[in-house]
Amino acid sequence: MSLLPRRTGVVVAPANLPIDNRLVAALPRAERARLLASGKLVELVFAEVLYEPGARIRHVYFPLDGFISDIAAVDGRAALEVGLIGREGMCGIAVALGVDVSANRAMVQGAGSALRIGVVAFRRELQRSPALQRLLGRYAFVLLTQLAQTAGCIASHVVEQRLARWLLMSHDRAHEDTFSVTHAFLASMLGVRRVGVTQAAGTLQRQRLIRYARGRVHISNRRGLEAAACRCYGTDCDTWQRLLG
Amino acid sequence: MSFAPELQDNQLLAALPAEDLEHLQPLLEPVELALGEVLYESGKRQAHVYFPTSSIVSLVYVMENGASAEVAIAGREGLVGVSLFMGGDTTPSRALVQSAGSGFRIKGSLLRKEFDRGIALRQLLLRYTQALLTQMAQTAVCNRHHTVDQQLCRWLLMSIDRLPSNKLVMTQELIANMLGVRREGVTEAAGKLQKAGVILYLRGRIEVIDRSKLEHMVCECYEVVRDEYARLLPWTATAREALAMDSGARSGLRTRGP
Repeated sequence: MSLLPRRTGVVVAPANLPIDNRLVAALPRAERARLLASGKLVELVFAEVLYEPGARIRHVYFPLDGFISDIAAVDGRAALEVGLIGREGMCGIAVALGVDVSANRAMVQGAGSALRIGVVAFRRELQRSPALQRLLGRYAFVLLTQLAQTAGCIASHVVEQRLARWLLMSHDRAHEDTFSVTHAFLASMLGVRRVGVTQAAGTLQRQRLIRYARGRVHISNRRGLEAAACRCYGTDCDTWQRLLG
Repeated sequence: MSFAPELQDNQLLAALPAEDLEHLQPLLEPVELALGEVLYESGKRQAHVYFPTSSIVSLVYVMENGASAEVAIAGREGLVGVSLFMGGDTTPSRALVQSAGSGFRIKGSLLRKEFDRGIALRQLLLRYTQALLTQMAQTAVCNRHHTVDQQLCRWLLMSIDRLPSNKLVMTQELIANMLGVRREGVTEAAGKLQKAGVILYLRGRIEVIDRSKLEHMVCECYEVVRDEYARLLPWTATAREALAMDSGARSGLRTRGP
């Protein structure tokens, strides 16, 4: 859980804090300082919706220790997670691509904090900084690669493998071994029925890879979980490392 | 197919300011793309970016066990090879020609240079990248939630939107590969559409004879992607299609774009 007060708003001037977002950290010093100065540190509250499909994007977010689900809708309801964004990334890449309307819903899945920058200020920094342009170009390519992978993964891997992958991705972005997640939410994220999640979670639990009770998941055996996940998890990590690491 | 393609036949190229296009012209080489041709393999370096004019290219994700699923398609409204100007190295998917025809190609290094130089070109290609991201996300959703019948309808509509006529040359095996289903699944779905009088299917040729019925049967994914392309790339044929279908609903759109 975040140590920040439980409200969204300015907490501390970000320039005074070490910024643990890996994209921001990859910028040259002067450009990083300018980017930080143009934003605010805000709290990400669990289940808070940052973007709605079709709505204008007002801010971009660089998570520090929270994480955000990118959810595509189907038949009028949130239906499938197509991306998970934590301190390795940025929420609102569309803005960097010249588009300020969101295609998907973005919802906080792990509470924490993020550097939030208004679209106008962000565009200004982007224009001024070739390093930021290159970095976010590569990041957009990473997202494209991961999305292609996710589309393939969804079509051909079983729920258990996909659940293991999802847990690992969340674990990477959370700062703790235990985090909140409900059955209904998992079912929606993975695009399967609740009973499918129950069965898959049951299997992982019997293998002592996780403990799952009352909406809290604890990762007990990370290495085992890596073996249970489809290869997509490792490929995702490799892609990030190759292009941005 | 033996006619030389025109630059204007690709809608991204056509949307460029005249001087930018003029600058690009000597770098673009006309190419014929054959059905089933692999433009590049996943995980490999690619040399060229392709701008289809009358061809359609399918981006197929190949899993470690050899199973594959289509994650996006690109035709005259777009390009193939986003990784080359986004700073990627290898490509995540296989690019497979799903409908034969013409196009242009340009060396990746040359396009990259132009991308860094020209504001209009850069804006256009970035917007296209965002449209492609949306298409991929929706395809993922469709793969998860919709039946083979619906996916086939979506695939047919997306294909004929990118072609000059309602006819496409296609084998069931290729369709099965693209939808990531077994051949029998495609045979059954195509049989249903034929019985319903929506398509004619004969020896590898499919003709859509009742488009409105097809639009009635398709899942919403088709419309979501079409509308997103219309919003992001408002000058494309797909956009005009969207406008024609629900005219009046989208007043903001008409005032945008060239």
